[in-house]
Amino acid sequence: MEQTNTLCQDGESKGGVLAHLERLETGVDRSRKQCEELQSAQAVGSALATKIHKLRCLRDKLRAEVKQRQARVKASIANVEPAQTVEISEQEVLEKKQENVKAILQAYRFTGLSGKLTSRGVCVCISTAFEGNLLDSYFVDLVIQKPLQIHHHSVPVFIPLEEIAAKYLQTDIQHFLFTLCEYLSAYSGRKYQADQLQSDFAAFLVGPLQRNSLCNLLSFTYKVDPRDQAFLFCARLLYKDLTVTLPTDVTVTCQGTEALSTSWEEQRAAHEILFCTKPLHQVFSSFAKKREMLNMSLVS
Amino acid sequence: MDAELAEVRALQAEIAALRRACEEPLAPWEETSRVQKSFREIYQSDSEGWKSSKDLRSHLGHLESELSFLSTLTGINISNYSMKTEDLTSTEMTEKSIKKVVQRHRLSGNCHMVTFQLEFQILEIQNKERLSSVTTDLNIIMEPTECSELSEFVSRAEERRDLFMFFRSLHFFVEWFEYRKRTFKHFKEKYPDTVHLSEGASSHCMGIRSASRPGFELLIIWKIKIDEEGKVSPKLDLLTKVPRRALELDKNRVIETAPLSFRTLLGVLGIEAALESLIKLFCTEENN
Repeated sequence: MEQTNTLCQDGESKGGVLAHLERLETGVDRSRKQCEELQSAQAVGSALATKIHKLRCLRDKLRAEVKQRQARVKASIANVEPAQTVEISEQEVLEKKQENVKAILQAYRFTGLSGKLTSRGVCVCISTAFEGNLLDSYFVDLVIQKPLQIHHHSVPVFIPLEEIAAKYLQTDIQHFLFTLCEYLSAYSGRKYQADQLQSDFAAFLVGPLQRNSLCNLLSFTYKVDPRDQAFLFCARLLYKDLTVTLPTDVTVTCQGTEALSTSWEEQRAAHEILFCTKPLHQVFSSFAKKREMLNMSLVS
Repeated sequence: MDAELAEVRALQAEIAALRRACEEPLAPWEETSRVQKSFREIYQSDSEGWKSSKDLRSHLGHLESELSFLSTLTGINISNYSMKTEDLTSTEMTEKSIKKVVQRHRLSGNCHMVTFQLEFQILEIQNKERLSSVTTDLNIIMEPTECSELSEFVSRAEERRDLFMFFRSLHFFVEWFEYRKRTFKHFKEKYPDTVHLSEGASSHCMGIRSASRPGFELLIIWKIKIDEEGKVSPKLDLLTKVPRRALELDKNRVIETAPLSFRTLLGVLGIEAALESLIKLFCTEENN
């Protein structure tokens, strides 16, 4: 497919190389898309097969464990003399119970919500994570009285804590806590994505990443190839819903030369969709991978 | 596809039963010989943590009330928890003061009528600057296994390896589930002859029909959906069943547009009032 050379400035050779590059890129894009489509169709079928395999392995492992226990029991029956009667110390039973209860109390931190009783009431600790990475924790110190009150907290000022408390704190404390979890978790996730972009993909950014404290409005200029300054994209990501980690509104515009060739316009549109569907740092990670693939195909 | 899904469910149920069997306390005679041993060990050691039975009992009571308070506060009841740690630090890592540990956790409990069993792995890497903690594997089994709405969100949580999202979504899911059950039950009690819950109050459909209008039926489908971010929301639809003759007489296409109108009605009146208004349609004649 012949492309019109809007970049052609001096002679055939320059237009030729760029046109060649564009063709390669389109080709890579197309074959990638086909591959992804095939993969996703296969993925559904093979995901189920993998899951069944995983479950079967787990079940076999557990069956073996149960058999082992039964064997141990049988062996100890053989060893114990019928006349042997031992009194289990009450102490032992209590200590075992205590261990068990302590362990379960510790386990509550895995729910994201854990609490410690205080003299006034309870101090609830809310943990956040994104993609399996443990992030910041926040606490809310509640005073148990009528009406329930928040004594103090470490929730950032831009999270609408008062609003949420006004709606739910008195009537449904669980709803209050889990709603607060939603807001804090989403904020933590957005912050993580923005931080990752700044630290791991700084080479792709031109100028600073503009962000607000809620991390729900991000604005930045980037290039798809760290070495190529010719085409810059400007992205504006808005997360209208404060309980989500993917943007609700994305605008990507092209900086640089006047008229856009169709392939750059396609890229621009594709980027908009990418930002809407994938976490920010993953989008740039895919840009980096694409560059690598392109480089490899050029070299070969 | 169906056969495979059925196999998945059967496997999950078997795994849940096997896990329970593993968690059962050991046979008394095995327990006593272990207890004897540890009793001797403690008696022989110089532990300062030696409490009198009375102190221990009161401390235990305090811990148990803290546990029951947490359970009430969060709505999540954890009944069992165990952990195994494996140290993966190599000698090179120790030289650079890096510590690498894998934790294998097993947690089970329930949130109202839903019981869960989780098995997950956390990889902790500690270097000079900070401690990073990543969930590297997550396996979830939930009961009741037949609840299809739940299995969708289990796979999502497992994919994202997001424990917190799992518990958050679980809470909101159960909230909606209980609300739907209460609402259906309420209408069944208020209009026993008009409202029909063919699959029980816990199911996702409610039928509206009356003996005085044979052949006509409204079916409310109320599903609880979980999206990619783990957000839980209700999705209500209306299905209509009318005799062909009525369809022919329906010049204004009311039946055809009913599902859409229902959505609008929901937006205006909210769920309860919208459902009640539909039920009353079938009741008016009877009340005359």
